[in-house]
Amino acid sequence: MANPLQVGAGANLRNFSWAMAVFCLASFPVIAADGVADLSDQDKICLACHSQEGFNKDLGKGKKMSLNIKGDDFAKSVHGAIGCAGCHSDVSLDKHPGNKKIPSTREYSIGATQVCQGCHEDKAKLYEGSIHAAMLRAGNRAAPVCVDCHSPHSVKPKSVTDTITGLSCKKCHEPIFNAYAESMHGQARGKLGHVEAPICADCHRAHDVTAPSVGTHLKDACLSCHTGAVETHRVWLPNAGRHLEAVSCPACHAPAAQRRVDLRLSETGGGNGAAEFGESARAAVNGLDAESLWNLLRKINQNGGQGKASLQGRLEVRTGVEAHQLADKSRAIRDCNSCHSDGADPFQNVIVSVIGPDGRPVRFSTDKGVLSSLMSVGSVSGFYAIGGTRVKLLDVLLGVVFIGAVSVPVGHLSMKWFIRRRERKNAEQRANS
Amino acid sequence: MNKIFLHPLPVRIWHWVNALGFLTMIVTGLQIRYVGLMHLMSFSTAVSLHNSAGFVLIANFFIWLVFYLFSDRIRAYHPELNPAKFFRGSFRQIRYYSYGMFVGEPNPHHVSPYNKFNPLQIMTYQLIMFILVPIQFVTGVMLWDVKRFGATIESLGGLRVVDTIHVLIFIIFVGYIIVHAYLGTLGHTPSAHFKAMFTGYEEVEEKPSAAH
Repeated sequence: MANPLQVGAGANLRNFSWAMAVFCLASFPVIAADGVADLSDQDKICLACHSQEGFNKDLGKGKKMSLNIKGDDFAKSVHGAIGCAGCHSDVSLDKHPGNKKIPSTREYSIGATQVCQGCHEDKAKLYEGSIHAAMLRAGNRAAPVCVDCHSPHSVKPKSVTDTITGLSCKKCHEPIFNAYAESMHGQARGKLGHVEAPICADCHRAHDVTAPSVGTHLKDACLSCHTGAVETHRVWLPNAGRHLEAVSCPACHAPAAQRRVDLRLSETGGGNGAAEFGESARAAVNGLDAESLWNLLRKINQNGGQGKASLQGRLEVRTGVEAHQLADKSRAIRDCNSCHSDGADPFQNVIVSVIGPDGRPVRFSTDKGVLSSLMSVGSVSGFYAIGGTRVKLLDVLLGVVFIGAVSVPVGHLSMKWFIRRRERKNAEQRANS
Repeated sequence: MNKIFLHPLPVRIWHWVNALGFLTMIVTGLQIRYVGLMHLMSFSTAVSLHNSAGFVLIANFFIWLVFYLFSDRIRAYHPELNPAKFFRGSFRQIRYYSYGMFVGEPNPHHVSPYNKFNPLQIMTYQLIMFILVPIQFVTGVMLWDVKRFGATIESLGGLRVVDTIHVLIFIIFVGYIIVHAYLGTLGHTPSAHFKAMFTGYEEVEEKPSAAH
């Protein structure tokens, strides 16, 4: 592979403003650090200015963009080998610094993503499918791009083990990170130093990060390490396969967490049910109850053409923080009654969610009665926890049938007593007459 | 009174295993469904017992089925295809149970090994043995391993549909077993039918001659 420095920037370098370089070199002898010595002469020329502390570009309106690069870090980074022009091939040195307009540091970082794609095409493709990219496309300029996680001038080889501190995820997800750090996994990684203990990207993936409650990738991640978990559960847990499907791992393994039921709108065969559902659900002033949920699903399926919309229920914890409060398995919930009894805690909080345009779930509060109404047989047909979400009308029916059945002997014996008494009286009357 | 051999051994074994199994299923089913309200046993014990008893009942059902498939006594289950005759017989039987038996009238149905059920019994047992029990077994097996039978459950409308069918039939069985036990006391003595189901021999009134 050709060195982009030689191909893209060689001519520019020859035309570089030597006066400027000489000025920098003379003023700031900072390129004498050990690592920097390994860099090319051209890179040293760049660093002559860019390694200066406080070297900024004035963006106007009082905003500045730092142009400072730690030369030693860059030299030791994986990008040191390709040099400055490997990424900054657009810099025309004869016109450098020029008058290039940069709206903001953030916009420059977002634009730089295109440069990364040049070499990291596979990772860029994964990123494009991520929730982070979806948020960016949806207009969220704060959504993370390459440079937010990989400081481009000091990026280390992949083989260097991630440490628990300094993880880029923490910048945006600090409360969750703190919960993780206190969890079984975090403690094993941090305090005990077990490098095989999972860190953020091991479960959530580094580039194709998707919403945690979407899909089965998190459960798959758990099972990829805990390979015997399915069999272990099968030993004591009836319907283990179904439990592992409908109950998220933290719902039992984060015992302090509050749980809820998420009824996710699922569509087959395309259709625009999610948008229609979201619109109608937002319009429901008092939230969704059993009847409005039933009607809404029917309406979507009537308008939806070939596809079929249905609600897939799942037991999960309420927040991302709670999802990371994973405890030792000896503390995991094993009491069936915690879910399978009337009024069980997880069924007091029910939400309906649809996947929004940015890949994240949009949630709507829902009356808990949707799980115990007769209409749930049609609207929430795939989610049922014996005892916990039973249909109340069937309880009434059982009571009526029981009373009716007990009434049969009572009524029959009463009838026997009444008829025989009447017959006896008739016989007495006949005898007397 | 005449003694006739009404219940062969396989039928008696099936009946009492079935009775015990049904009671177990009802008690454990209630415990599973009403965890917070009943405290007879733990939920997991109730589920294990319910599952085990369910499979015993399925095996037991085949004892009954195979016996009757290879016996001419299956004629007892043959339906009355003449509606007029069926309704007339049913009406007579209802009248007997609700009045006649109290004033000493003879039972309009005369049992024999090939005609051991009155019209109401035939209708009830056909409904239970050929429709409700098989549906209860099938839905029960699906609920035993929801994941394994996921595709079938989905094609039937979902887990709640299957469970609701299972619970509805359960409710019918709760009512049925109470009424069935009571009707069992309506022989010529309260224990006559119960004894017959142990010994196989039923004591029946002699058929009234044409002169009577």
